Amino acid sequence: MAALLRPARWLLRAAAAPYLPLSLRLLAGGPGRPHAALCLRAARARPVAGGLLSQARLHSIAAEKKNYLQEEPTSSHRRNASQFDWALMRLDNSVRRTGRIPKTLLQKVFDNTCHSGSAGGNQALLLLRSCGSLLPELKLSERTEFAHKIWDELQKLGTVYDVSHYNALLKVYLQNDHKFSPTDFLAKMEKGNIQPNRVTYQRLIAAYCNMGDIEGASTILGFMKTKDLPVTEAVFSALVTGHARSGDMENAENILTVMKEAGIEPGPDTYLALLNAYAEKGDIDHVKQTLEKVEKSDLYLMDRDLLQIILSFSKAGYPQYVPEILEKITYERRYIPDTMNLILLLVTEKLEDTALQILLACPISRESSQNDFGSFFLRHCVTMNTPAEKLKDYCKKLKEAQLHTSPLQFTLQCALVAQKLDLAKVLMKALKEEGFPIRTHYFWPLLVGHQKEKNVQGIVEVLKGMHEIGVTPDQETYVNYVFPCFDSIKSVRAVLQENGCPHDDNVFSQAELRSKAVNGNLDYILSFLESNTLPFSFSSLRGSLILGFRRSMNINLWSKITELLYKDGRYCQEPPGPTEAVGYFLYNLIDSMSDSEVQAKEEHLRQYFHQLKEMNVKIPENIYRGIRNLLDSYHVPELIKDVNILVEREKTDSRKPSSSDLESKLEKLKAENQPIGDILKQLILMLCSEENMQKALELKAKYESDMVVGGYAALINLCCRHDNAEDALNLKREFDRLDSSAVLDTGKYVRLVKVLGKHGKLQDAINILKEMKEKDVLVKDATVLSFFHILNGAALRGETETVKQLHEAIVTLGLAKPSTTLSSPLVTLYLEKDDLPAALESTIDCYEKYKILPRIHDVLCKLIEKGETELIQKAMDFVSQEQGEMTMLYDLFFAFLQTGNYKEAKKIIETPGIRARPTRLQWFCDRCIANNQVETLEKLVEMTQKLFECDRDQLYYSLLKLYTKKQNIVFDNETYARLINLLLMKDNSTQAMQVKDFAETHIKGFTLNDAANSLLIITQVRRDYLKDALTTLKTALDLDQIPSRLAVTRLIQACALKGDTESIHDIQKLVNGLEDSIGLSRMVFINNIALAQIKNNNIDVAIESIENMLTSENQTVDPQYFGLAYLFRKVIEGQLEPALEKISIMAERLANQFAVYKPVTDLFLQLVDSGKVDDARALLQRCGAIAEQMPILLVFCIRNSQRPGKAPVMKSLLELIPELIDKEEAYTCLMKSYVFDNDVTSAKALYESLTAKNVKLNDLFLKRYAVLLKNAGESVPFTEPPESFEFYAKQLKESKETHL
Amino acid sequence: MAASAARGAMALRTNIGRPVAFVRKIPWTAASGELREHFAQFGHVRKCTVPFDKETGFHKGMGWIHFSSEEELHNALQQENHIIDGVKCLKSPTLR
Repeated sequence: MAALLRPARWLLRAAAAPYLPLSLRLLAGGPGRPHAALCLRAARARPVAGGLLSQARLHSIAAEKKNYLQEEPTSSHRRNASQFDWALMRLDNSVRRTGRIPKTLLQKVFDNTCHSGSAGGNQALLLLRSCGSLLPELKLSERTEFAHKIWDELQKLGTVYDVSHYNALLKVYLQNDHKFSPTDFLAKMEKGNIQPNRVTYQRLIAAYCNMGDIEGASTILGFMKTKDLPVTEAVFSALVTGHARSGDMENAENILTVMKEAGIEPGPDTYLALLNAYAEKGDIDHVKQTLEKVEKSDLYLMDRDLLQIILSFSKAGYPQYVPEILEKITYERRYIPDTMNLILLLVTEKLEDTALQILLACPISRESSQNDFGSFFLRHCVTMNTPAEKLKDYCKKLKEAQLHTSPLQFTLQCALVAQKLDLAKVLMKALKEEGFPIRTHYFWPLLVGHQKEKNVQGIVEVLKGMHEIGVTPDQETYVNYVFPCFDSIKSVRAVLQENGCPHDDNVFSQAELRSKAVNGNLDYILSFLESNTLPFSFSSLRGSLILGFRRSMNINLWSKITELLYKDGRYCQEPPGPTEAVGYFLYNLIDSMSDSEVQAKEEHLRQYFHQLKEMNVKIPENIYRGIRNLLDSYHVPELIKDVNILVEREKTDSRKPSSSDLESKLEKLKAENQPIGDILKQLILMLCSEENMQKALELKAKYESDMVVGGYAALINLCCRHDNAEDALNLKREFDRLDSSAVLDTGKYVRLVKVLGKHGKLQDAINILKEMKEKDVLVKDATVLSFFHILNGAALRGETETVKQLHEAIVTLGLAKPSTTLSSPLVTLYLEKDDLPAALESTIDCYEKYKILPRIHDVLCKLIEKGETELIQKAMDFVSQEQGEMTMLYDLFFAFLQTGNYKEAKKIIETPGIRARPTRLQWFCDRCIANNQVETLEKLVEMTQKLFECDRDQLYYSLLKLYTKKQNIVFDNETYARLINLLLMKDNSTQAMQVKDFAETHIKGFTLNDAANSLLIITQVRRDYLKDALTTLKTALDLDQIPSRLAVTRLIQACALKGDTESIHDIQKLVNGLEDSIGLSRMVFINNIALAQIKNNNIDVAIESIENMLTSENQTVDPQYFGLAYLFRKVIEGQLEPALEKISIMAERLANQFAVYKPVTDLFLQLVDSGKVDDARALLQRCGAIAEQMPILLVFCIRNSQRPGKAPVMKSLLELIPELIDKEEAYTCLMKSYVFDNDVTSAKALYESLTAKNVKLNDLFLKRYAVLLKNAGESVPFTEPPESFEFYAKQLKESKETHL
Repeated sequence: MAASAARGAMALRTNIGRPVAFVRKIPWTAASGELREHFAQFGHVRKCTVPFDKETGFHKGMGWIHFSSEEELHNALQQENHIIDGVKCLKSPTLR
């Protein structure tokens, strides 16, 4: 926004002018009288009407922003500051990146401003200024309308306008060719009690001149003269235009002479005015002559000036001259946004042919084949309703010119987004002609628009369009995009017929079927399948059918439908056949349900499987195994046997011996009186896997004496699966009799407990639990989970005693600890019965016994739903008393959120004094994510906006997780940027990159801002991804961003440590010209290149080049700033002895032969700093001048005194150079260091040596020393200065300033 | 098509545990059918989803390819470029 705000800054400065130095006061154009030359330059900085804005770099923006905010009148607008900041940033980003502002963005900023209820003067200025040439995509009249809307609305909000606002409005008028009466405008200002200033008059003159009204312009000029205002180049330029437009070219030319006589040399602006005047007349000869004249002078016309001439030619109806001007354009990179804006403007003005001409002349497009350069042009053409045939032609040309790889597809996409059916049809036909397929989903965006408005006619039009193009609507088209627009599918059919909309009856019927299935209308499905005559595949219906089954629990219909699909020749008869298809369907049905759903529907499913069995439906064994694993993982192994009955036995592997084979073998052995133990066990195991309980039990009875432990274990398990508690228990007793020390595995014990509990054999179940404890059976996490499922199942069946007694036994035996999960069935019991008082009682009871509050959230939710005020009060009192008020508030907050009582939730979370509890918030977030509660989570994020100490990033991250899970990502740019920043700060660069990838997929033109890119570079460097970091740096610079100094420095340093000289040179080239903006010293490169060379063993090269730099005639860096401390430190740290030696020789040589002392002093200091005091001393002895380099030494002292742990270094330095103590800066720093490190002894010595010298010590020094002594428990030998550190620091600073 | 080609990349990602590839930057002109067709060369595609946004009628540029085996998934990930509807696609490292 630098360019937008710059004039405002001058004006604001004007108010403060009396306090500014003379030169600035002149610039400010305030009370002082500016001379023309300065004004000329200021005028030149303003954007010209083609669009066009100087490409200011960020540093200047940041600086101006700072000034700007400081200059903001303090009290009243303070709260607007951050709002303003935000608006500024958004608009600034846009202008900086594209040279323009999209209308939607300006609208958004404006709406936000209105929404905030007030707007400061600066904000108003910002908005007004955006309404001119920065909006090339808007018609001129619309832009002015926008400006007026902003003006009126903000005035209503109480914004006070001053002269700058009026001037801004004037400028917008000029840029938009808005016709208005300057006298009325002046009257309006007078009414508002605003004095016009020079700028006002200047612009009013321009307004008259634009209308060709020289007389009007002269009147204003007269005003200016009476007020003694200077006439600037801008005024003369306007007069050139004025004369030209009044048809008087001769006098237009004459103005230049008049100017010269008045002592003002015509500048580029004046010439541009003249050039435009000729262009408007179509006078190419004079344009060329004038251009030549300018070329010969020392003036220079920029690309954007030439673009302006092109605009004039085209608007005046002389496009034939455009190529001649285009030839002169240099296409400098920084003017590309200007060029793009001119192209957009021309399209807006319906001069799209000229726009294309310019686009095709642009050389950049061919540079990078990756980028489809013409997209912005095509999109805008679509918006501006450029005729379809023309667009087709443009696409062809863009493709031929290799500007765009797929212009037709892109334009079609734009047409679809804009819901332009006719254009879309033309483009699709064109695509088809070129041999591209036209796909059904191309029409969906068009249907979506009509669907939202329930516009039946619109839908019909699109369907007709599809037919025209030769595309048949598929099921998805009907189900997702057509049906929702109608009340019933019947009416869809009727409307389609009525309108002669051809449709494939088969597809339509299947779509209808799917639609009904999804809604759980199984009756319809059945009757359809029965009456249907057209064959189609089962798999196409699978997904919808599963949804339908889950919505309707009519098992008879489930079975009938499955049977029909299985048996009827119309369905799933083609390979792999019905067995496979139905098996796969059952697997998917169960897979689509959650474990709790399967548990709840256990009986239904059992019934279903048995009905299928009756119907003789079969499934393959391999799919059965998949289902078995699923059921096991869902904790419902009881259903396994019920699925097993469906397995197609005939096809099982014939190589394996069957159970009957084994049985005859067994009988044979028995008859031969041979041992049968092994074969018996094998047979029982096989019968178990076939779920043949009856047979297995008979076998056991027959050969009881030959049974072994393993056989019993398998049998017990089989009976449990078959819910046969009686036999399971008997078998267990026999098992114990066989071997009382034998132990079953944990799973079998658990299953026994479950079955016994389920059949009311509570004491037996408890005995099993006791045995588990006695035999020290391994209890894993999964076991505890199984316990929970046992208890929960009982709770869902309402078996109060079972739940209570088993829970009691598990907890008392110590098999598992009570927890909010394990103990929750105690509460579930009553929640299921809707007995809320008992549920609450049970929760409270758990707290009293175990200090846990199971399902308190669910209890509260139910209480709220039922409006049980008294119980809520009771619950709250209890929680409040036991766990504190804050916990209670959170419980209530979550319960209100969960039940959709957002107003109440908001009130709770806004309770004064409430602060963020990260773990609780996270708990709720995770819950929302698990249950797919998008709205609830969004509300949570929204409501906690002002919550004290709330980690917003964490909440946004949760939201992202949920959106990602639902594959429904709708973040805006800012949220993404925020997330990426967060992840980078958490040093989670992998995830940050993941989010970035996502963001790039979802937001067109998504880019990271400067700060995020800088952070990214730093993270990449830290993780040693130097190549990536270099790429990031390139990307940032390509976006005209200014990366942080830290980021660039880190990258350079990392490259140096790798000895990668080449990359450092690359970076140097990349940031060339930006060093000041980044704040990058040349020394960073010099140090690191040398270091890299040294790392590569090119010590001599490194040293030679440094020496050359320091001794050559034209030094780029002043020797006194030629700091090599970093290099020296790295060399010392890296113990690169040969390099250190050569460096030392170089430093000494520079000192002794060239009197350049900076390197040797730096080396000396780095030696001291690294604790190499002897080396330092030796160096000092060889080169005594080091001790005289006071400024360097003092800077070192000051820097070191700001860091802890430097007391020893400072002490060594003082020992080596004792004369340092005479310097106030030095001894102050020394004391500071000693205090930092609590070095009382050294501090005392320092104090004593100073007092011995009778040095007058300042209060700050004394205060520091006194505090150190006091903290060490020692007495202070003088009166401690009474005020604070800050006080003395300030005092000291002030005394130094007055001293100066 | 061109919109997603702005950065010229379609990226694949794997879903640990199941042989699923995550594909990004799918051009708007392609839907699950085209994706399935393309990835069939690497193995048996069990399932292929490209969710459409019911609000806009466009898909979101992302899709999931469920292969039958890890090996087939690996085949797909091995390939440097995936080109669908003429959009040149690059592979990015596994991110999950």
